[in-house]
Amino acid sequence: MSDLPEFVVERSFDAPRELVWRAWTEPELLSRWYGPGAETIVHKFDLEPGGLWLNEMKWGDNSNFQKVVFKEVSPPERLVWNHHSSVDSDWNDAANPMMADWPKLLLTTVTFEQVENKTHLRLLQIPLQATDAEIACFAEVMGKMSGGWGAGFSIIDDILTEL
Amino acid sequence: MEHMGYTSSSPNLDAIFSALADPTRRAILSRLVEGQACVSDIAEPFEMSQPAVSRHLKVLERAGLIERDIDKQRRPAKLTAQQMINAVVWLDQFKAFWGTSFDQLDSLLLNMKQTRDKQHE
Repeated sequence: MSDLPEFVVERSFDAPRELVWRAWTEPELLSRWYGPGAETIVHKFDLEPGGLWLNEMKWGDNSNFQKVVFKEVSPPERLVWNHHSSVDSDWNDAANPMMADWPKLLLTTVTFEQVENKTHLRLLQIPLQATDAEIACFAEVMGKMSGGWGAGFSIIDDILTEL
Repeated sequence: MEHMGYTSSSPNLDAIFSALADPTRRAILSRLVEGQACVSDIAEPFEMSQPAVSRHLKVLERAGLIERDIDKQRRPAKLTAQQMINAVVWLDQFKAFWGTSFDQLDSLLLNMKQTRDKQHE
């Protein structure tokens, strides 16, 4: 397990842990921040081990669907879930149209640590039940991402608007 | 470019990343977004020699990001490889997802704190 590539995001929030936990675990709050610039619709949210979070993010006419299966719910300090990164509108696993070898399942662990009046949050994702090709793809992308790629992608937005 | 798939050892992705890593090449792609252009068109605003532009175009062409018309003497370059660009865009979205969402979470938490503080007054 320790050999698997990891995606890690850490961030400190200027709010006590209980508030941050609520923002992650109450669907009406979650939908207000989850999904950059998207209209986020939470279709189902059962916050218990084995429970489902079915999420739709809409950008204009385009929808992106995600399925989450909670594995561990330990308020207010730890959430663990299986993240199905590419599902169709019926919530079934589907191939990622953009990158065929992207891992279909990411084990996601979110920890909330209170530091004085702030909350330090750490999100970790690792491929789960992944093929060698998926692991290699994820590792390659993670390598590129930590390489300071920065704002280099802004050009791509320009390109896409022309297609 | 006969094969556009993304296998684990995809050379395309490597080629794309190294092609896009250079700011001049990204600027050239920006120029090509406006429409096809030949080497001299591209060289002018960059105050760059035509051989230097040609070298950059070769890198972009090898990455499959542009295509050059071989039938015409001026060999205008134009953007191609939507699939590859899509992949790069998708990676960008993955990378930006949490950061941008967390910015939104920051604002929400601020609101929640203010609401809570009012209730305590």
